[in-house]
Amino acid sequence: MNAPAVIFEEVSKFYGEVLGVNRVTLRIPPGITSLVGPNGSGKTTLMNLMTGLIHPDHGSILMRGISPRDPERLMRITGYATQYDAAPRRATGFSFITTGLLLFGYSRAEAEEKAWKALERLSLTDAAHRRIAAYSKGMRQRVRLAQAIAHEPELLVLDEPLNGLDPLVRAETIALFRSWASEGRHVILSSHVLQEVDVISDQVVLIANGMILAEGEIRNVREEIHERPSQFIIRCPDASRIASLLFNEDHISEVRLNDDRMGLLVMTRDHRQFSLALGRIASAGHRIDGVIPADENVDALYEYLIGESC
Amino acid sequence: MAVYRRGYNRYKGRITGRWTRFMVLPRFAWRRLFQQRLVVLLLVSAMVWPLLCAGFVYISNHAELLKGLDSEFQRFVEVSGNFFIIFMNVQALFAVFLAALAGPGLIAPDLANNALPLYFSRPVTRADYALAKLVVLFGMLSIVTWVPGLVLFGMQVGMAGGWWFWSNWSLGFGIFSGFAIWVLLVSMVALAGSAYVKWRMVAGGLVLGFFFILAGVATMINGVFRVTWGHALNPAWAVNRLWFALLSVDPPDGPGVVACVSVLAGITLFLALVLERKLRPVEVIR
Repeated sequence: MNAPAVIFEEVSKFYGEVLGVNRVTLRIPPGITSLVGPNGSGKTTLMNLMTGLIHPDHGSILMRGISPRDPERLMRITGYATQYDAAPRRATGFSFITTGLLLFGYSRAEAEEKAWKALERLSLTDAAHRRIAAYSKGMRQRVRLAQAIAHEPELLVLDEPLNGLDPLVRAETIALFRSWASEGRHVILSSHVLQEVDVISDQVVLIANGMILAEGEIRNVREEIHERPSQFIIRCPDASRIASLLFNEDHISEVRLNDDRMGLLVMTRDHRQFSLALGRIASAGHRIDGVIPADENVDALYEYLIGESC
Repeated sequence: MAVYRRGYNRYKGRITGRWTRFMVLPRFAWRRLFQQRLVVLLLVSAMVWPLLCAGFVYISNHAELLKGLDSEFQRFVEVSGNFFIIFMNVQALFAVFLAALAGPGLIAPDLANNALPLYFSRPVTRADYALAKLVVLFGMLSIVTWVPGLVLFGMQVGMAGGWWFWSNWSLGFGIFSGFAIWVLLVSMVALAGSAYVKWRMVAGGLVLGFFFILAGVATMINGVFRVTWGHALNPAWAVNRLWFALLSVDPPDGPGVVACVSVLAGITLFLALVLERKLRPVEVIR
C-alpha cells in the first residue's frame, strides 16, 4: 500500500538574499518525524513551507497529496502549533479552541465538543474556563497543542512542542503523539533537544544552514556515514590489555580507558573490521562482557555531521 | 521504517457556510471591543449629536413651533443638504476617534504575539483576515455614521411626507455613500496603522496623526503658495468635497471631485499596500 507522504522536491526558499532552505528533497512517511537542527538551521522555515504559510521560490511540495497552495483543503487535515505564545491573553482556553474550530466550519455544538476533547487530552479541563493570561508556561504550551489537535488532523506540524512541559505531561504528550502516529497520521515536530528526539522519533531529518544533512531512522542514517568514526563502549575486566590489543588495529583511531579500568571507549573507522578484531580478541581467551554502540543517538550524529553539538 | 495502518477517519460531517466562518473573526472582535469601556463611552457620546439633530428635524417640521420667528431663521432650520453636511462633519470626527481607539487593537496584538500563523493555519487567507478586520471597523463606525444619518433622513421623510422624499431622495443616497467612503478610508487608515506599528498607543496616535498632520500640511501649502490645490492632500477635505457633490451643496473653493477621487484612490491603494506588506504570517528580519 502506498501510504500518503509529505514530499519535498528540490525545494528552496530565500528571504531576499538570506537562505531559508536550499534544494530540499524529502519524503516523509506517516509516523513521528523530528526535524533536528540548531537555531536558524531552517526547521521553522520547513514547517512554514509545509503549512503553506510561506511558499517556495523553487521546487514543489505535496502534503499527503495536497499542495500547500490550497489552504482550504490543506488546513482541514493539518494542525500547526508554532513556537510562539500567540493565544489572545483575554480568551479562556476553552473559548480560544472553540473559536479556532468555528473557523474550520464546525457547528458551535460540535466545536465545543471537540474543544473539550482536546482539552481533556492535554489535561487542561480544570483550567478550561480560566484566562490564558493566567496559565503557566507549561499550560500555555499545552493549550497551543490542544488547538492544533482539536480538529483531529491527519498531519500534525509542531514547532518545539515539548518545551516547557513537566515530565508527567511530557510523557503523556509523547504517548499522544505515538497513538496518533500509530493510526497512520503524520506527526512532524522540531526540536533541538536531541535526547528527546532519540526517544520518540521514528525518523529524523537533520538540518543545518538550510540544507538537509541526513534523513531516515537514526540507526540507518548513522550507518550511511561509513567514513566517520563510530564509538563503542566495551565492558571487560581486563580493559588495559584489550586496549593495547586494539591499538594494533589500523581502523582504531582512539581508545580511552574508563576510570574504573573495567571498560573502554573505542573509536573505529570501520565497523566490520572492528567486529572481526573483537572476535579475534575473544577467541584468544580475553573476556568481553558487552559491546554497546555509544553514538547511535542524534547528538553524536550531529556532532559528526556538522562538527558541533546542539 | 515504522509501518502504520490507517486507523483514523477523516471528518465527513457538514461544515458551516463560507460567510458564517468568515463572520467568526468579526464577531469575536466585536465582543472584545464592546467590553472596552472607552469604546462604549465614545459610542454613547457619538449619539448625542444625532439626538440633537433629531430634535432639529422635529422642530423644522412643526411649523407651529416656528410661528413668529424670523424668516431667515426659518430658512436656517430647513432640513437640506447643508443640514446633513453639518451632521456628517461632526459624526465623521467621532468616527476618527473611534477608529483611533478601536482600530489598533485589531491587528497590532496579533503581530506582536506572532499570532498570524494561528489564523492562517486554518482555512483563512490573508485577504479573509484583512477583510474581517475591515468589517469589524466598518460595522462599528457605521453605528455612528450612516445608520443615524439614514435614521434622521427617514425621520424627515416620515414627518415631511412623500413629496419631500421624491425631491430629496439623493440626500439619502449621498448620506449613505458619503459616509461609506469616509468609514472605508478611516478603517483602512486604522488597520494600516495597526499593522505598521505593533504598539497600540502609537498605532492610535498614527491614526489621529494621519488626519490632523495631513490637514496641517495642506493648510500650510495653501498658505505658503497662496493656492487651493493643497486641500487635495487633506483626505478629510477631499472626502468632504465628495459629500458636497453627493448632497448637491455648493462646494468650497479648491480642487474638484475628480482630483479628490484620484487622491483618495491613491491613499487607499497605498494603505492596501501597507496591509499587504505587513500582514504576513512569517516576519523576516534581515
